[in-house]
Amino acid sequence: MSDPAAALAAILRQRRPEAFATWLADASLAAGASFDRTAFELAFAGAGRRFGTDTIGGGITLTGASGRAWSIAGWGLDDAARALLVLGAVAVIPEAAQPGFVDDLYRAGASRERRALLRALALLPDPQRFLATALDACRTSTLPVFEAIACENPYPAECFPKPRFNQMALKAVFTGIAVDRILLLATRRSGELARMAADYAAERRAAGRPVPADLALLGAP
Amino acid sequence: MRLFDPHVHMSSRTTADYEAMAAAGIAVVVEPAFWLGQPRTHAGSFADYFASLVGWEPFRASQFDVRHFCALALNPREANDDRIAADVVALLPRYLAKDGVVAVGEVGYDEQTPAEERWFAEQLELARRFDLPVLVHTPHRDKKRGTERSLALVREIGLPPQRVLIDHNTEETLPLVLRAGCWAGHSIYPNSKMDEPRMAALVQQYGGERVLINSAADWGISDPLKVATTVAEMRARGIAEEVIATVAWDNPVAFFSQSGRLDLEAGDATGNAFAGNTVRRG
Repeated sequence: MSDPAAALAAILRQRRPEAFATWLADASLAAGASFDRTAFELAFAGAGRRFGTDTIGGGITLTGASGRAWSIAGWGLDDAARALLVLGAVAVIPEAAQPGFVDDLYRAGASRERRALLRALALLPDPQRFLATALDACRTSTLPVFEAIACENPYPAECFPKPRFNQMALKAVFTGIAVDRILLLATRRSGELARMAADYAAERRAAGRPVPADLALLGAP
Repeated sequence: MRLFDPHVHMSSRTTADYEAMAAAGIAVVVEPAFWLGQPRTHAGSFADYFASLVGWEPFRASQFDVRHFCALALNPREANDDRIAADVVALLPRYLAKDGVVAVGEVGYDEQTPAEERWFAEQLELARRFDLPVLVHTPHRDKKRGTERSLALVREIGLPPQRVLIDHNTEETLPLVLRAGCWAGHSIYPNSKMDEPRMAALVQQYGGERVLINSAADWGISDPLKVATTVAEMRARGIAEEVIATVAWDNPVAFFSQSGRLDLEAGDATGNAFAGNTVRRG
C-alpha cells in the first residue's frame, strides 16, 4: 500500500478494532472535524495506554515521501497510532506551521512519543522541512530515542547533510548499535566517514579496547 | 525483598546512587516534581523539567534495572512566585496525560500562604480531572497545623481520601492522616524529619496499613538508601516480614496503581525495552 496513512489505519483496525474505532475522532481528526490541539495532544500522549506497545511484526512495509519502502516490523502499535495522528494533523494544519508543530510535539514528548515522531518523519510531505527536529534527536543521550532516528529509519540517509550523517553513524557505533541497523548506509559512504571509522578503530586499539567487528562496514566501499 | 521508594528526587542523584539502590533491592522509584534546590525564574524551565521526568530520567534508571515513574505539579515553594505560578499550572494538563506519570505531586503547603492554598486547590482539581492520585508535601515548620489544613482542603474539594498520600509525617501527624483515611508517607533523613528507629517504632505502634516510607533524597543532606536501611531496622526489631513488605512494597504499588499507569512489566517506565534491543559494547 503506498498511502502510509491508509496502511497504518489498516494495521490498527485489524489489531485493535475497539481502540481504533474512535481514534481519529477523539484526536479531532475525523473527516470534517475542526482540528483541536488539546484533543490531539491528549490522544497523542495516551496512545500507548490505548493500543499497547506490542510490535507490529514481520512483513509490513511503508512507503515514504521519497517513494522508497522500508519495514516497520519493529514499530509498536503505539508508534503506528501516533504516526497516523501526525500524518492526519499535518494534512489539516497550514504548511508553514507544520515544522514548528512537529518540533513542539517532540520537545514536549515522553520517550515513546519522541520515538514515534522520529520514526514517522520520512512519511511526512517534503520531509526535509523537519530536519532540525531530527538533528536535535541525534544529540540525545536517551538511547531508545537516538535509535528511533538512527536505526531502521530512512530519514537520515535521505535528508541529513554529510557531516551530520557521519556524526550519527559514528555515534551509533560508539553507543553499541549494530551498523547494519542504519538504513541506506551504502548510499552515504564517503572517504570522510571511512577516515572517521579508521580513527575510531585506532583510538580503541590505543586504549587497549576491542574494536567493534562491524566498524569496517562504515568505511567499506 | 523488592523495595519501592515512593518519593525520591533522582534528577539530583548520580548513577552511583542508582547502582547502590539497585544493589539494595530498590526496584521501583517515584520522583515527584519539586524545586531544584533554588527557585526557577521561567515557566519554560518547568517544561524542560517535566520532559526530563518523562524521558531522560526513566532511561537513566532503566540502565540500572530501576523502574522510574514520576508525579508532576507546581511545588508549594514555587507556588509563591506569582511571576511563574499560573504559567506552570497551565503547562500541567499537557504533561499529566503522559506515560509514566502516576500522580499529581508534590502539592501542598510550605509557608501556608494564600498563594500556596490557591495552587494546591487548583491542582487537586487537576488530579480529579486526570483521574490521578495526589502526593501532598507537608511543611517543615508548623507541620501539625499544615497537615490539618491539608486534610481539610482535601475534604473540602471532595477528593476521596484513598486517592491522597500525605507525606513527611511525624509522630504527631501520622494518627491524623490515618484517621482521615489518607495514605501516610514518611521521609527518612540522616538528620531531620524522621529516622529509622522512630519509623520502626511507628510501624510497631500503628501497623503497616496505609503507611509508606521514602528517602525523599534530593540535593540536600539525604540518603537514597533510606528505604533499605529502614527495612533493616524494622527487621532487626522483629517486625513481621509481611508487615515490612506491606510498607515497603505493597502500599506504594497499591497507591500509585490507582493511576492505571504503574506498569511494572519489563522495559523502562515509558515502555522502552532498552536491554532487549541494544547490544552494549564496553
